[in-house]
Parts: sequence; C-alpha cells; structure tokens
Amino acid sequence: MSSSTTAGRADDSDSELDARIENVVERTILRNIPGLSLHVSESDLDVGPTPKELVYSNETARLYHYEPLLDEIYRVPILLVMSPVAKGYILDLAEGQSLVEYLLLQGHDVYMLEWAAPRREQSELGLDDYVIDLVGGCIEAVVDDCGENEVTLVGYCMGGMLSAMYTALNPEGPVKNLVCFTTPVNGDGMELYKKWMSSPAFDIERLVKELGNIPGDFVNSSIQALRPLQRSANQMRLLNHAQDDAFVKAHLRFDRWAVDQLPVPGRLAIALARDFIVENKIVNNKLELRGELADFSKITVPFLHVAALHDHIVPAAASKDFIDLVGSEDKQEIVMKGGHVSLVAGGNAVFRLWPQLDSWLGARAL
Amino acid sequence: MSNDESMDPMRLWREWFVKSEKSWSDALTEMMGDERFSDGMGRYVHEALHSHRMFGESMGQYLANLNIPSRGDILDMSDRLAQIEDTLGSIQVELRSQRALLTTLAAGTKSESKPKRPARTRKPQADAS
Repeated sequence: MSSSTTAGRADDSDSELDARIENVVERTILRNIPGLSLHVSESDLDVGPTPKELVYSNETARLYHYEPLLDEIYRVPILLVMSPVAKGYILDLAEGQSLVEYLLLQGHDVYMLEWAAPRREQSELGLDDYVIDLVGGCIEAVVDDCGENEVTLVGYCMGGMLSAMYTALNPEGPVKNLVCFTTPVNGDGMELYKKWMSSPAFDIERLVKELGNIPGDFVNSSIQALRPLQRSANQMRLLNHAQDDAFVKAHLRFDRWAVDQLPVPGRLAIALARDFIVENKIVNNKLELRGELADFSKITVPFLHVAALHDHIVPAAASKDFIDLVGSEDKQEIVMKGGHVSLVAGGNAVFRLWPQLDSWLGARAL
Repeated sequence: MSNDESMDPMRLWREWFVKSEKSWSDALTEMMGDERFSDGMGRYVHEALHSHRMFGESMGQYLANLNIPSRGDILDMSDRLAQIEDTLGSIQVELRSQRALLTTLAAGTKSESKPKRPARTRKPQADAS
C-alpha cells in the first residue's frame, strides 16, 4: 500500500469525520433552539387564550363566562365542570386546539366552573360542599347571568361525577342535559387505587390530619403511578421531534397541564377515598350527601357519556356502569379512540369528539 | 442527514422505548398492585409523614434562630395571598354586575337601546343534525 494512498484515505476519513461532527453539532443546536426560545419566552406557551370574565366565586369555585363569538347562539348555555384536581385550561389549550373556542364558534354560550387551590382553612370542604354549594351555586349564577332557567352540564372526569351527583339530587332542577367525559363511577374499576386505599396500612384520615389538604404533588404522583413510564416516553418522543417547533410547543403545553395538579381539600379526599373507591357507594346506591341519597336512577335528563378507548386513568371497568345507572330514556354512551386527555384536548379531538358533542348538544339546546 | 438520523443509536433506542413503554408500565403497575407493595407503601407514607413532621419541628426551631422563615411561615404567606386573590375575585365579580347595571340604566328602558346580547334563537345546522 503506497503512502500516498494511505494519506489519501486518512484525508477522506478525516473529512468524513469532520462532516459528521459538523452535522451532530448543527443538529444539537437546531434541537435546542426551540426549547431555549420557549424557556426564554413563556408567552409562546400562553394557555387559556379565549377571553373570559369571572362571573362568580365561592370558596374554591371560580365561574367564568366566555364571550360569545356569534350574534346568534343556542338558548341553553353550557356549564363545563372541571375536575377538582385539574386546571381548566386543558379545555382551552391554545388557539385552534380549544374545546371552548370550538363550542363558541358553533354558537354555544359557554361557562366554565374551575377550581382554585384550597387554602388550609378550606381543608374542611367535603364532597357535599362541592356538589351542593359550589356546583349548585355556580349553576344558579349561570341562570342568573344568562337569563335562561336551564343549563347543560358538561363534566370532565371527576367534574362529571360532581355534575351527576348534583343532577341526581335535583332531578327537577335547572339541569336540562348532562354530558360526562371519562367519568369514573365504579370504585372497583380503579383497581390500583382500590388496592392501595383498601390496605389496612393506608390511613387517609391520618394523612389528612397531618397535611390538611392533599398536596398537588401527591395527586400528580398517584396519577403518574398508573402509567409510570409514560412521562419518560413522552420526553423521549420530544427529543425525537425536537426540531419540530409545533410539536415542542404542543408537548410543553400538555406537559405543563399534566403536572399542574391542584391540591385536594382533606375532607373531599376522605370522601373520594372512602365513599367512592373503597365502599363504592355510587354503584351500590348508598352515596348520601347531607342526608339525601344521590340516586343516579333519578337522573332523567338527556344523558351522554363519552369514554376513551385507551384511558389508563379511568379504565372501562370504572366507567361502563354509568349508562346503566342513570334513569334517562334519552341516553347514549360513545367509546372513542384516544386517552383520558387526548380525547378532549388532543390534536384529533377536533375531528372525533368535538363534532359529535356539538351535534348532540345542538339538538338539545333549543 | 436523514440517513444519519435513522442510524442514530440514541434515536433508535428512544423509539424502542416509546413503543415498548406501555408494556413496561403495565408490568410495573401490576407489581404495585400486589398486596405486599400496597401494605409497604402505606407504611412508607406514614413513616414519611412522621419523619416530615419531626424534621419540620426541628428545622422550624433552627430557622427561627437564624431569623429565616420556616415552611409554616411561607404557607401562612401563601394563604394570605390566596385570600387577597379571593377578595380581588369578589371585587371583580361585583364590578362586573355593577357595570352591567350601569349599562342598562344608561341605555334607558327603550328596548332598541338596551345593551345588545346575542339572540338565543340558534338552531342546529342542517348538515350537522
């Protein structure tokens, strides 16, 4: 082998190495620019962009009204009821990815009941306070504000539980229609939580006595435990799409919401753990709120339940009994592709859930 | 560049992880559902609470000696801020209703000059029903 050939091959491999190094550096820089720019400019991640006004507040309840976008709207307003542990902006994530915006553009009058973090002295708020006073108070405020005496309740996850309980306690009340997304009603179906909370070593009352309100981090950890590696997998997926600005923004919005869990008032946590998970009172028709039985068979208004096919937070076993519990004649259950969150707020929701919801609501909001 | 990306071992590993994550997570949750795990976790939580309380008490005294706010002090401040926010919210609600009242009064009783609200007469679109 001649020295000139060897030198030539060495030059080729050096330039190839240089090219590879340059490529890796360029890709690394390109990958980090979107992330850095988003860290520096948080306004790019602005969530909840649809203009709204605070209409009513009581304890942890905050009722917002979204400004109608059309000159002609449906008669019956919608009250979106959020889960007490989750922030409401998931339903108004970004322009073009907002259930709220979609409903407004279809001509609905939209209100949202979302929850503030409870203060320490609010740890005594229980399930009865949430259903009767807070949800009830917000419904009255909607009626008062819009001038109509009927409201459609649309509850997400535990928001659906609260909405259903209120409707069961007030069958002749102002609720005209009831819609629930991914709502658990059967504590036996929440298998992992049932096993943990049924263990004699787990004492929810002692936990509440020590902490007052159950911290948001605790809530977040217990939700993450249902699919422990999902967050890591999402971060891997993010790295693989780091040059895609839109993907990065969407990921960061979802990720922000996923860890933005609210603390739970102590007495409410005890009710959810004991009455719902361990004793399964909803399905066994034994749930009493201030001495009155919340009998779901007394729900007779038009009812729609939408479940997600790949929901690991509220699996089918926890929600499938809902349709049989309610006493409505006009009732329907739809199971759609998607997960617990992507069903209502993912990129495909605009093609799947939202049009079906609008169609169902439109026929019943007259 | 696309050839480099497809052969990037880290990328391949990440893709494998993403595709197999569900089965790994299911295996972990099955382990966590075991009775021994549940009992152990319950005991751990309570031990952690006990330790947390003991540590908080000892640190509270130490921080007080250094004239540094404790966690309890920070929580007190957080509660006061939350109360201020709640009060501001109530004021906001009241201002809104007062503004609506004033707008109605300013417009007088003539229906054509009342503040315009959207008509609640919408019907579903024909192709949507």
